[in-house]
Amino acid sequence: MVALFARLKWSLTTGRVRAAPTRGKVAVALGLAFGLLISGLLAATFIALRTETDLAVPVIGSFFTGQLLAWMLAPLIAFGVDETIDPRRFALLPLRPAVLQRGLLVSSLIGYLPVFNMVVLVGAAIGLSRRWDVLPVAALACAVQMVTCVVCSRAASTSMATLMSSRRGRDLGMAVGIAVVVAYTGGSILLNTQRGGDPTGALGTARALLWGPPGALAVVPGALLDGATGRLIIAVGTATLFLLLCWWWWHAALRRSLVTTPSTTAGSTPARAGDLGSAVASSVRGTALLVAARDLRLAWRDPIRRLPWIVVVLFAVAWPFVVQGEGAIFAVVLGSLLAGAQTANHLGVEGSGIWLHLVAYADSMRARGEMLGHAAASLGPGIAIIAAGLAVQVATRGHADLLPAAAGLCLSALLGALGAACWLSAELPYAMPQSRTSIFTSSVAGQKGRSAGAALAVLGVGAATASPAIGAVVAAVTVDPAWGWLALVAALVCGVPVFVGLVLLGARRYLARGPEILAVVSAGDRA
Amino acid sequence: MLPETDLPAYPDSVAPPAVVAVALRGLTKQYRGRAVVDHIGLDVPRGSFFGLVGPNGAGKTTTLSMVTGLLRPDAGRAYVAGVDVWADPVAAKARMGVLPDGLRLFERLSGPELLGYLGRLRGLDAAVVQRRSVDLIGVLDLAEAGNTLVADYSTGMRKKITLAAALLHSPPVLLLDEPLEAVDPVSARAIRTVLAGYTGSGGTVVFSSHVMALVEGLCSHVAVMNHGQIVAAGELDTVRGGAASLDDAFLHLIGADDRGGGDLEWLRSSPA
Repeated sequence: MVALFARLKWSLTTGRVRAAPTRGKVAVALGLAFGLLISGLLAATFIALRTETDLAVPVIGSFFTGQLLAWMLAPLIAFGVDETIDPRRFALLPLRPAVLQRGLLVSSLIGYLPVFNMVVLVGAAIGLSRRWDVLPVAALACAVQMVTCVVCSRAASTSMATLMSSRRGRDLGMAVGIAVVVAYTGGSILLNTQRGGDPTGALGTARALLWGPPGALAVVPGALLDGATGRLIIAVGTATLFLLLCWWWWHAALRRSLVTTPSTTAGSTPARAGDLGSAVASSVRGTALLVAARDLRLAWRDPIRRLPWIVVVLFAVAWPFVVQGEGAIFAVVLGSLLAGAQTANHLGVEGSGIWLHLVAYADSMRARGEMLGHAAASLGPGIAIIAAGLAVQVATRGHADLLPAAAGLCLSALLGALGAACWLSAELPYAMPQSRTSIFTSSVAGQKGRSAGAALAVLGVGAATASPAIGAVVAAVTVDPAWGWLALVAALVCGVPVFVGLVLLGARRYLARGPEILAVVSAGDRA
Repeated sequence: MLPETDLPAYPDSVAPPAVVAVALRGLTKQYRGRAVVDHIGLDVPRGSFFGLVGPNGAGKTTTLSMVTGLLRPDAGRAYVAGVDVWADPVAAKARMGVLPDGLRLFERLSGPELLGYLGRLRGLDAAVVQRRSVDLIGVLDLAEAGNTLVADYSTGMRKKITLAAALLHSPPVLLLDEPLEAVDPVSARAIRTVLAGYTGSGGTVVFSSHVMALVEGLCSHVAVMNHGQIVAAGELDTVRGGAASLDDAFLHLIGADDRGGGDLEWLRSSPA
């Protein structure tokens, strides 16, 4: 039975590649090569630490802790990526939980990510072996680390399987994803502010982690060599006890999940619901207001639409603090580009739901109004967030004289990206998975290239539209801040026409290509 | 990038007479060189309850998709209430209500929000939309759903809210693809009552179904599709002919009346 599970996972892993078009196969090969390169570099780093006995154990022990956390968080953030993660798929098979658990353990060790992990752990095993005769023990410790990661990850994902199939669960996933981004940004800011400082604090933290379950495994080879029996017993005991606890947790969660009905999503129904304003689509303005109101309502209710806006806030407000020097205020422009990109592929977001618009009207007035409405739903919040980001920079780091230049730059980029997003929604639409099992999966198999191309084009047009403003920014920084006002003029003279032109072009394409767009985006219904 | 497409090369045709609600003339759709709808012609009389029946893959959904403007035909014309759907889509879409099969709705709107949005998107006055929405929600027994999101609706509720959206602008023609598929009996009764009232007041209903008993009980006219072609069409009694039921006539028309259940001896001999 265990071999059957291994074959199932192998078939799932290789089947995706076989079914992919040539471009997809090339992308997988490149991804595999990149993953091996990164994991190989990490392994080489650990091997290089072999002679640095004071550093090797805390660094590798910290890696063990981080690796375990990553394995636990991955299913929460990207639930649905691995079909075997959800135990309810096996609920109707005549399998005992113990057999299922062993099968799932083996299947979890098959795939690209386990291979990358194993490459790194081989490096870790060598790095922990001060003398070659202790290498088998270090290898065993690393193997236990791999199994611990898998068991702990499976226990967490099985416990959350029912929850993650609901919107509330995906809200939780979104919160975890944001926490990871915030932690990363916070860590970057901290590292920037303490550049050149004493690293002993970090080393102290790393040494403390060696007393925890995964970190303790890094201590085992050294303790054996040093004859530190007490430390060895504590380390082995901690790691073993943790593994057994995780195994029991997984087993209990598995038994429960096989007989538990999935949670309903009714609990997330909005308590207060009202109409979507009073606008009527009898004019371009009326249509735009109606569509914008709908988009904003859906963005508020749908975690998959909310998450990107929170990322925009992070990049407009927090990210500029990572940038050093007086040019930090201009880093807000990254938030501008991302705000403009929020309208990208708006015709694909609802999957085949677009038919409701296609059967309702076919006139250019409402097509223009709809495009403008989608743009307005991003333009309003985008301008507010960018204004907040600029205000925070001026308030905390000064340089108010550069505000006109920064505002012009951001507005140009926002208008350009927004216009391109509207046009490309009709010109280069792509299907988005409507099963929404992963909030970070934005396109379906076979359309990844299309979605990547559209995203790059949106950012590229935004950057190109901002290029006249960039000239004014350079003059403002190097000659006189008064030149910054020219950036605002550039936004009006260049950004507005680009925005309007691309929105109108998008409306025309939408009207002409409605059935073809529906055919493309409907593929998301089945993904 | 989507390819450039123009209106299909329509053949010369005669415009349908005024008594015809839906007319198809040489309507054709091909996928990878295979015609899934093959030059079909059909007249649906005004005020009729018209059933479009056929086995899976016969081309019913493809036909209705082309008539409703959701799928571009390779050739032919489709008229709804005298308007060419692909030559004058603005006028045609105002004259039809559509209930497709298997397509999503705006899942995170509630039923009343969805109707309010779609009504005003069609340019109806907000007060009119509000009044009609309340009426339709009441008649279709959706009031209890309150502000529940469409995502949380059952299959029957989804069909009913889509039917409500199709009726909201009071079109002369309704085009419904499997409106009663996977619908519970209570919802089915509500839908049938509304549709019967609609045709009673002069509206035309065209709907596809696999369920012969349903078609026989509801329809005044029927067309049988098989392999992308209309193999029989007309008044129900005419199509049924001398057969005991429409089911028998249908199986005879598509050449499936001699198919048995096959030899599954093992099914009766193996307890495990």
